Amino acid sequence: MKEIIKITFALTISCVIAASAMGLTYMATAKAKKHNHHMNVQNAMIGLLGFGEDNPAPSDLKFLNVYRYIVEDGDKKFLGYMVPVEKGREEAYEMVLIDLEGNFVEKLEVPISAEKAEEARDRATALQKVLTPPKIFTYADASVIATAGGKRLGYVLPGKFPGFRTFIHTLVAMDPKFELLGLEIMEHEEDAGLGKEIEQEYFRNQFKGKTYEKLKTLGVIKKPLPMEYKKYLEKSKWEEGMFTEEQIAEIRKQYKDADIYAITASTISSKAVTDGVKNVAKKFAYRIGKLDSVLKQENIHAAF
Amino acid sequence: MAIKEKTNTQLFVDGILKENPIFKLALSMCPAVGISTSVMNGILLGTAVLFVQVCSSCTISLVRNYIHPKIRIPTYTLTIAMWVTVIDLVLAAYVPVAYKAMGLFVRLIVAFAIITMRLEMFASREPVEKSFFDGLGMGLGFMFAMMALGFVRELLGSGMILGYDILGFKPLLFFVLPCAGFFVVGVMMGFFNWIEVVYKRRKEV
Repeated sequence: MKEIIKITFALTISCVIAASAMGLTYMATAKAKKHNHHMNVQNAMIGLLGFGEDNPAPSDLKFLNVYRYIVEDGDKKFLGYMVPVEKGREEAYEMVLIDLEGNFVEKLEVPISAEKAEEARDRATALQKVLTPPKIFTYADASVIATAGGKRLGYVLPGKFPGFRTFIHTLVAMDPKFELLGLEIMEHEEDAGLGKEIEQEYFRNQFKGKTYEKLKTLGVIKKPLPMEYKKYLEKSKWEEGMFTEEQIAEIRKQYKDADIYAITASTISSKAVTDGVKNVAKKFAYRIGKLDSVLKQENIHAAF
Repeated sequence: MAIKEKTNTQLFVDGILKENPIFKLALSMCPAVGISTSVMNGILLGTAVLFVQVCSSCTISLVRNYIHPKIRIPTYTLTIAMWVTVIDLVLAAYVPVAYKAMGLFVRLIVAFAIITMRLEMFASREPVEKSFFDGLGMGLGFMFAMMALGFVRELLGSGMILGYDILGFKPLLFFVLPCAGFFVVGVMMGFFNWIEVVYKRRKEV
């Protein structure tokens, strides 16, 4: 009996020490970690929108988050958009409920600041005060709208879809007319040398510049990537005087409405990304269209 | 040579050559087969394992007289998990560039046999200083083995080294898949042991 007590005591002490060490480290590093993650995503988004060293972002560039929720009230289902609105100088959020046909249902003020709204838990607490039972709400996703000088610069959407192995997490950037500005692969578990090539410029940059019309019917071609097109796509490897202005325009025009050239031996991964981007873009374009018409109709002064 | 007589440098060098975890002790084959697909992976995982091994070895060595023999393994696991978590959090907060590359690998280390085995065989019986050098040697031996494997697999599989296109084409693509990992580990293990036999023979002559 004494043995068991000794062992239990020893194990408990060890667990307590280990847990305290981990907890203390967490407390000391949590803020810095979150800040780094935030900066990572911000920089990825700024890059996607086409800004960089030779094209600095405007000083009043703002990223506004629109959070989408699914709200159920008995057997009725609504889409709830948590939208940042302008209230004089302060930022505030309003929950706009829209039914599945796109008609306005109701609008509620959400007592939360923009900074707190980025935390899922703070959002849920604030929403619970407004979306009282019997309403049940579940978080769907968040879209980012980039604005500068009072105008929309573009949209950055997170896209998660099945790949060849598990899921592929991406960031898709579109301009206000839903033309693709860029694609960034954030996380994936595809095979090295095969599906992992989706990270490469010669695959990702093929999506740049595709218009919304072309995007709706975008497919994958199982042909080798033309050498000239490949050199054009690998923008970071361009040398001085490699392409003249005319050549760039020529190539751009030639491949503007082409389908995506698949990665050799990775048709499934290529198709997964193409279909994923297509769906993300189509769904968002539809939803933002409905949301915009409701905002205009109800005279809601959104911050975008 | 018994452990008690080895000097610190000897312990350190043994970990890399004579008692290399992957090629000689045949421990932690999982990462050797699964993750050694490129040199960079090898360097990153090797560095992470080095940190965790050294820290865990020293910690267990410090408390070796207080560990109840019946709960050795849970204690080792707790220590390893604690250090992995601490390193993961510190990297994420203060070295984001390294975290972006290494983050995924650091969390896998908890399951590696080499660290638990080393704690059981060495750190729980030897003083801190010796454990430190042993951990250092083992960690570096692991890193060296992973880099060697990664070099072969990356070059033959995707024609690149450290992401730089060397060959311009992919000679034998299947080298980056797990099955080839087994082949490469086996062949390199044989090669490594063969070199040792030849070296010993030379020494005798």
